[in-house]
Amino acid sequence: MNSATAFKTSTPPPTTTRRRTTLILSSFIKQPIFNTKNIHLTLKSLKCFVDIPNLSVSCSSTTTRTDSPIESEEERVANKLQRLVFEFRSLTEPIDRVKRLLHYAETLPPLNESARVEANRVTGCTTQVWVEAKMDEFGRMRFGADSDSQITKGFISCLVWMLDGAYPDEVLTVKTEDLTDMNVGIHGKEKSRVNTWRNVLAAMQDRTSNILSRWK
Amino acid sequence: MMEVAAKQIASFKLLNPKTTSPPPHRRPSISISGAASLGHLTRPDFPILHQEVNGSKLVYLDNAATSQKPNSVLNALQEYYASYNSNVHRGIHYLSARATDEYELARNKVAAFINASNSRQIVFTRNATEAINLVAYSWGLSNLKPLDEVILTIAEHHSAIVPWQLVAQKTGAILKFVILDQDEIPDMNKLSEMLSKNTKLVVVHHVSNMLASVLPIEEIVLGAHKVGAKVLVDACQSVPHMLVDVQGLDADFLVASSHKMCGPTGIGFLYGKSEILSSMPPFLGGGEMISEVYVDHSTYAEPPSRFEAGTPAIGEAIGLGAAIDYLSRIGMQKIHDYEVELANYLYESLCSVPNIRIYGPRPSENVHRVALCSFNVEKIHPTDIATFLDQQHGVAIRSGHHCAQPLHRYLGVSASARASLHFYNTKEDVDDFIQALNDAVSFFNSLK
Repeated sequence: MNSATAFKTSTPPPTTTRRRTTLILSSFIKQPIFNTKNIHLTLKSLKCFVDIPNLSVSCSSTTTRTDSPIESEEERVANKLQRLVFEFRSLTEPIDRVKRLLHYAETLPPLNESARVEANRVTGCTTQVWVEAKMDEFGRMRFGADSDSQITKGFISCLVWMLDGAYPDEVLTVKTEDLTDMNVGIHGKEKSRVNTWRNVLAAMQDRTSNILSRWK
Repeated sequence: MMEVAAKQIASFKLLNPKTTSPPPHRRPSISISGAASLGHLTRPDFPILHQEVNGSKLVYLDNAATSQKPNSVLNALQEYYASYNSNVHRGIHYLSARATDEYELARNKVAAFINASNSRQIVFTRNATEAINLVAYSWGLSNLKPLDEVILTIAEHHSAIVPWQLVAQKTGAILKFVILDQDEIPDMNKLSEMLSKNTKLVVVHHVSNMLASVLPIEEIVLGAHKVGAKVLVDACQSVPHMLVDVQGLDADFLVASSHKMCGPTGIGFLYGKSEILSSMPPFLGGGEMISEVYVDHSTYAEPPSRFEAGTPAIGEAIGLGAAIDYLSRIGMQKIHDYEVELANYLYESLCSVPNIRIYGPRPSENVHRVALCSFNVEKIHPTDIATFLDQQHGVAIRSGHHCAQPLHRYLGVSASARASLHFYNTKEDVDDFIQALNDAVSFFNSLK
C-alpha cells in the first residue's frame, strides 16, 4: 500500500463548506472550480485559491472570499459533487459544458504508462479508458485515470477530482443519477456504451469494493 | 498549459467564426432534370427530422445504426393498437382474425420485397442478430462437426461473428477469417482459396457497415455451393438501400432488420430456403411453434411457425409491412440510384477535410460505395468529433467500433467516426456535416 506518492499531484485541496460554496459559486461559477495539476502551487501561494483555484484575477479582488473562513478539514465528496453539478448547470449552452470538460481534461495529471494496461481498462466505453485505483496508508482511495479522448478525459478528470482522497464508503455512495443534473454526456440514467460517467464511476467503485474486500 | 488551454477555449468563438455565423442558406439540391432531389421530396414524410437539437437544425447521419420512420409507419402502429390489437393465430374473434391477417400480410410483403418464392421462407425474429443466432443454434449445432470450417470476413458485424464462436466452441468447428485486399475490401480471391470440402458455411455481409463496400454475393454463393457449403448473408445494410433478390443471389440464408429499413425496432427476419428450414430443429420452445404437446414430448409446427415461439411482435411486423409499402412506392432502384449519388458526394466532400483517413475502397467505375463513410481525423478522437458535432451543430454521427472490433484492430485503430445516409438525406445535409466537421477539426487543433 505504498501508492500515495503515485497520486500526490492529483490530491485535491481541502476547501470550503457548502454554505460558503453556495455564496461564492453564485458569483464565480462560470469559471472552472478545480485544477488538479496546479493545486499545490496555488495552495502555497494564495489562500483564496482554495475555493476556486483558477480564479486568480477575480479572487484577488474579491473581499468576500478572502474574508471568509477557510475550512481545514478535507472537503467531502458530497460537497464536491454539489459544486460540480452547480458549475455545469450554470453553463446553459451545451458547447460551453463540452469546453469546460476539455479544460478539465488539461488538468488531469498524466497516468504512468505502466498503468495503461488491460487490467486497468474500463470496458463498455466508446473510447479507451484506464483507471488505476489504490488505497493509501490512511485508508483513502487514490485514483489515476486516462483516456485517448479529450472529452472523456474531462469526464474522468471531474471524477478523479471528486473521489481521489476520499474514503471508500464515500466513493461507494455516489450514484450516476447524482451526476445527471450536470447535463453533459449523460444520455439517460441507464447503462450505455456512451455513458462515460456511469462506466468510469462504476469502474472506480468496483475497484474500491475489490480493494475493500481484499483488506477484509 | 492549463491556463493556455482555458484561454483558447474561452476565445473559441473568435477563433472559429464559422461557429457563430448562421448556417448557410439551404437551397434544395436540384437534379439535372430540374426536379427536387429524392431527399427533399421524402423529408416531409419524416416528422422527426424537423426539429432542433442543441440549438441547431438536426442533421441525422446515423442511418447505418438505425433509420427514421415515415408517417405511414407511425400511423400503421397507431392504427393497430387503436383499432385491432389482439393476439394472432389463435383467436376466433374479429380483432384476432384481423390482426392475424395483417401479421401474415406483413410476412407476404417481406417475401415479395426480397423476391422470396414463398412467404413460408420468412421467419420473423426480434432482429437480425436473433435471426443469425437462430441459424447458428438450430442449423449450426445440428450440422457442424469437429474440424468443419465456417468462413467469415474480418469485416463482419459482431452479430455475425459471436454466434459462430459460441457454436464453434460447442461443436469443435473452426472459424476462418478473410482479410482485406489492397482496396480495403474483403479479399474475394482469399475467400475462394479458403473454400474446401471442409467448408460447411460461409457467413458474409452484403454491404459493410464500416467499409461501405458491396460484396459479390452471387459469386460467393456459386463458389460455396461448389464445395457443398451453405451461405448466410447479413443483408442489414443492403436491404434498406437497394434491390435484393434472394432467388437471384441463391443465398441459403439471408437476414435483415426492420429498424434499419424505416420500420419499427423489435422485429427482423430470416429468409431460408424451404428445404433447409424444414430440416432444422426448433431454436426456442413455447407456444405457437408446436403441433402437439404431450407430457413427455412435443411435435413441432412447420416453418416458419416452428421458429416463432410465443406471441410475436405483431404491431412491429405490421409496421415493417408499412415500411415496405413506403419503400416500394418510392422504388428501391430509385432509392439506390439517388444514394449512389449521395455516396459519391459524401466521399468527395470528406476527402477535402485535412488529415482525414476514410476507410474502405475509393469509388470508381468498377467500385461502388454505399452512402456511408467511416473515418478518422489525425490526432482527434472520433468520439470527441462526434460529441462536438452533436453539441455545437446538431449533427448526429456515430463514433466507436460500430460492432466491428476485429475490423478496427485489423486497420490498426480502436475506433472511428461514421456518417451514414439514407434516401431522405440531401446534399445540403452533407454540406452541413462537412462544415461542422471542419469546425470541429479547427477547434480541437486550436487546443494543441
